[in-house]
Amino acid sequence: MATYTYEHIPDQGAKAGVLAYLATSAVVLLLMMVFGLLMRLEQAQWISIGAIRFYELMTLHGAGMVGIAAIAGASIMWHFLRQYVDLSSRIFVANLVLFLVGVVMILGSVLLGHFHGAWTFLYPLPGKSMGLWSPGAAALFMGGLLVIGVGFLLLHLDIARALVARYGNFSRALGWPQLFGHDDGKAPPPTVVASAMVTVVNVIGLVVGASILAMMLVNLYVPEFDIDPLLAKGMIYFFGHIFINATIYMAVIGVYEILPRYTQRPWKSNKVFLASWTASTLMVMFIFPHHLLMDFAFPKWMLIMGHIIGYLNTVPILVVTGYGALMIVYRSGIRWDMGSKLLFLSLFGWAAGAMPAFIDGTITVNYVMHNTLWVPGHFHTYLLLGMVTMVFGFMYYLGKPSHEHDDHLIDRIAFWLFTSSVLGFTMSFLYSGKESVARRYAAHLPEWVPYDRIASVFAVLVIASALVFIGRFFARIGLARHDYQRAPVARSVAA
Amino acid sequence: MIAALARPQVGFRVLGALYLLLAAPPLRTSLEATMSGHMLVQIPLLAAIGFVACRLLPVARQERLLDAGGGAVPYVVLVVFASTWWMLPRALDDALASPLVEAAKFISLPLLVGLPLALAWRRLGPIGRGFVWTNFISMLAVLGWLYIAAPVRVCNSYLVDQQESAGWLMVKLALLLFAGWLASLFVGGGGNPALSTAEQVAPPPAPSRDCGPERN
Repeated sequence: MATYTYEHIPDQGAKAGVLAYLATSAVVLLLMMVFGLLMRLEQAQWISIGAIRFYELMTLHGAGMVGIAAIAGASIMWHFLRQYVDLSSRIFVANLVLFLVGVVMILGSVLLGHFHGAWTFLYPLPGKSMGLWSPGAAALFMGGLLVIGVGFLLLHLDIARALVARYGNFSRALGWPQLFGHDDGKAPPPTVVASAMVTVVNVIGLVVGASILAMMLVNLYVPEFDIDPLLAKGMIYFFGHIFINATIYMAVIGVYEILPRYTQRPWKSNKVFLASWTASTLMVMFIFPHHLLMDFAFPKWMLIMGHIIGYLNTVPILVVTGYGALMIVYRSGIRWDMGSKLLFLSLFGWAAGAMPAFIDGTITVNYVMHNTLWVPGHFHTYLLLGMVTMVFGFMYYLGKPSHEHDDHLIDRIAFWLFTSSVLGFTMSFLYSGKESVARRYAAHLPEWVPYDRIASVFAVLVIASALVFIGRFFARIGLARHDYQRAPVARSVAA
Repeated sequence: MIAALARPQVGFRVLGALYLLLAAPPLRTSLEATMSGHMLVQIPLLAAIGFVACRLLPVARQERLLDAGGGAVPYVVLVVFASTWWMLPRALDDALASPLVEAAKFISLPLLVGLPLALAWRRLGPIGRGFVWTNFISMLAVLGWLYIAAPVRVCNSYLVDQQESAGWLMVKLALLLFAGWLASLFVGGGGNPALSTAEQVAPPPAPSRDCGPERN
């Protein structure tokens, strides 16, 4: 059996491109949070922006959050992966430029063209607006998504090139020789394994997404070219579900790389770890039907597959990563700071956020829960307390002035404020779901309004704490470029 | 046998024979009798002849041609436009109705699609090649889908059932090509995966410090 020892890796500062990604993520994240708050305030009947504006904000909030999660996740992956393989900075920057072009197109489509068909752009809604938006506005929205997709495709092709150049092929990058043969302890590091997985699934998802977008653009101007709505929905969810899942698989690389520096213990690429990532490489492509369980016209085998694989895919990476983090931290004498606390919290958020999806993935539960706020409760927990918290942890880590620097009181307060307010915010969603409050409704019944008001208060607190995190990141952005030790030495090692 | 084909003289003769065979009335009419044969066999084979013929040229000559055209990108653009033209149903109809257009097809596909693609391929690199592949595959799938979903008969020369059949074949071909391209990433050699983690780490771009950054 292979033995693993911690090998110290010099701590590298971030490239300008990584910081540009993070700065863009931070700004857009705050903007999208404010949009989300406005939606909750509208439902809480504390403001009155009207249904059309609500759905415009919902469209921007959905597309913007998915996009920004991908950009932030890509920055973490790229920052650490470039320490193992030779990545192209130009392609990395080109992706950000294409992303920003896509964002401008989407903003124009929604704010000027009044497109509000949600990020899911489900066929045939974009082409049948009943006069609320023009075909041009819908085309601009879908064109923007296409441009963003092209950027990410380029980024993943570059990662694929670099992995193949370094490891020969993807089998080796995923550690298959060690998984299926003798584990000699020389499997690729977790960062490489995770990046290979994300590249494989995202390239497949992006090609499928580009195909349905191109087809819907044709349909927009020549409606006679009819599309099977169920096929379109399946393709959109295949692409969308893979893309959003991949964001957390990219961001978790920060946990794999940073926590070991605090504890001086290795994150092992052992057989269990490799098996979990290989299993999820396959399963993440087949779980999207759990969003289609209410579509009875889908083939039954597909829905059953969604149910079973939805259950199975919850387990591998999440359990292996959660258990791995506990083992790395247990009796390590870790000296907690904002970076390590946020990264550790993010694993709780990921685990807790997956549970409502696990429950909702049960067909009989799905029939009554899927169109309620239970589902936004799931993905807000998963993304806000999981994925976004990983990004905040990475930001704090990069900007830490020195390994002995103590956190300010305001940061420590913001951490607990963030944790408690995100829990309150997401529990408001989940409890509303339990009370059968419908999702995607601009106007709520009087009985639902108290939950919306509680959620709105928590949303304000979430934004306030996120402002502290983001403000601190911008204040320290100059430090983030330097190479120096950031993680404090664990007590067990120091002793 | 394969080694013999790799010799330029033999290779050119084989390609010439294949070209003449494709142009000869029996094979030409039988391939053009169905939309699938026309679009998915004859046209790709003509482009492939140009591609392989270019590869048989001496490398120095290929490089000169590449430089004369301004590099890989202009050739890829040429390939995209020329191949797009022959994807249009109108172009297929014209080729069947007019001997002049038919001749243009037999000349343009090897010279404006196959040959420039082979020239550009040399310098495209893995990212460019991957982009061309993924773009081609998704466009093939979308075109096939359009043929299946088209509410009208798009070619005067082919019936709707031929159109649907060609569409399904294009979608299946796109899926097969994509699966094959992905599978090719999982096999092959190269690289040096046996290094330890510390050895894999690239040297940091600037000297590292232990006690925090300098502040001005």
